[in-house]
Amino acid sequence: MSDAHNIIRFREVGVRYGAHTALKDLSLDIPCGSITAILGPNGAGKSTFLKACLGWLPLSHGEIRIGDKHLEHALPRLAYLPQRQTIDWDFPITVRRVVEQGRYPRLKPWQRFKASDHQAVNHALEELGITALAQRPISQLSAGQQQRVFLARALAQGADIFLLDEPFTGLDATATDELAHILRSWEVQGRTVLAAVHDFDLAKKAFGRGILLANKLIASGPILSVLTEANIDLAYKAPRLFEIDPLKHARSASFPS
Amino acid sequence: MQRGLISALLLSISGGLLGSILVLRRLSLMGDALSHSVLPGIAIAWLLCGPSPVALFIGALIAGLLTALGSAALSRLTKVKEDAAFGSLFIVFFGAGVALLSRLPVRINLENFLFGSILSVSPSDIKLSLSVSALTVVIFIIARRGILLETFDPSFHRATGGKGGFIHALLLILTVLNLVAGMQTMGVILSLGLFLLPAVTAYLWCETFLKLLLTACILALISSFAGILISYYTGIASGACIVLCLGTIFIISVIFSPKHGVLRKLIESINQHRSVNHSLD
Repeated sequence: MSDAHNIIRFREVGVRYGAHTALKDLSLDIPCGSITAILGPNGAGKSTFLKACLGWLPLSHGEIRIGDKHLEHALPRLAYLPQRQTIDWDFPITVRRVVEQGRYPRLKPWQRFKASDHQAVNHALEELGITALAQRPISQLSAGQQQRVFLARALAQGADIFLLDEPFTGLDATATDELAHILRSWEVQGRTVLAAVHDFDLAKKAFGRGILLANKLIASGPILSVLTEANIDLAYKAPRLFEIDPLKHARSASFPS
Repeated sequence: MQRGLISALLLSISGGLLGSILVLRRLSLMGDALSHSVLPGIAIAWLLCGPSPVALFIGALIAGLLTALGSAALSRLTKVKEDAAFGSLFIVFFGAGVALLSRLPVRINLENFLFGSILSVSPSDIKLSLSVSALTVVIFIIARRGILLETFDPSFHRATGGKGGFIHALLLILTVLNLVAGMQTMGVILSLGLFLLPAVTAYLWCETFLKLLLTACILALISSFAGILISYYTGIASGACIVLCLGTIFIISVIFSPKHGVLRKLIESINQHRSVNHSLD
């Protein structure tokens, strides 16, 4: 396997918050055009992983390369979707204006929107099926629609790598299916997606690859080979839960005869 | 009185813009804190340079920035949260200001600082208002996208290479500048009303960002005009008149706003009760 097909490469990456080690000795490759679920218990470093990709965190060790370049030169290629809950959905703004934000980084302060910018926005709205909602205030959207507005903004950015922070949180079953479907279609189009995900079944269904973290790399690769029981035990049981005696509850339970 | 009117109208425009952002960023109380904390800066500037508007301006700016930066530093370095840090610092600054004022050889009228005096607006005060207002508008035009992004979604702003801290500092400086420029006309504390009230009122009516900014500016202009006229004919303090005009519009909006008003909520809840009753029949 040549390096050219790996769009993101971590080499012995370490991230520390003060005395706390968030990620340790992380070496892995993300193939171009793959959709990858980032899994692990709370505090395992999922968000840290995404933030490290964005270059927001000083690395205590190692390096991250995106494409052939260092992070600082690669910002326009990355689209980041923050968690939906961090946004004030009462903000007085229409769907179209949010999607237009994806074009802002390309424009100098004095430049106005060009035809190509409007076109990119129209395309993004259309691809996510929210053209009809374009003039709606965002306060009137459902959770699934909100998520699609964010995806459209990322598309309008013209990025080829998408970093999604817990995109499935708070979506109902239909919206979850929709989003999974959208991500699958992106994979077909050769877009690279990295998403922090909590739900294993969802990860198995919607993602081709997985990265299992517990402050260090437990496993990375095709999703089914990552989410084996042995790996999950390793990520979720260690080290805190070792203290709990698994037989304690069985002993105290009483069964009707 | 004409000079006071011009000054108030000028600051209405910048105040409406700035206030909208403060409200959306949930920094309304920070504006309040800043308005108090500029007092020692003004007192010290007076002590050093006499009543020159430029000196007072710079003194107030330094005091305001010290409060803002100081509380940011406090919250990073200790476990004190930012709101508590702000609250503590501004009241200490205000106390220091009151102490300094009482020791000044020349008496500054504290009432002037708090409530302004429309009749003492000088031509240089107008120049100050004009430049502050113009500066605010120009910065809003140049940095409009950055300000919108930083207000709506700071992490997206950062992810696309935006400088969030810079925008934040810029807004902070503009706030202090506008507060100080409004001091002569309305008093430093009431001039905050010219920022916040039009913005909160507009927030109840508007569904888009641009409309919000424009509505806030227009409300501020109307209220400044009406307030100063009322003040002129009744002799009530000008700042208070403007703020009361804004307050009246605000309360009317709270009740009658078509989407977010109390009246609508009330009608909705009555209708809901009825439908429950019907289903019981």
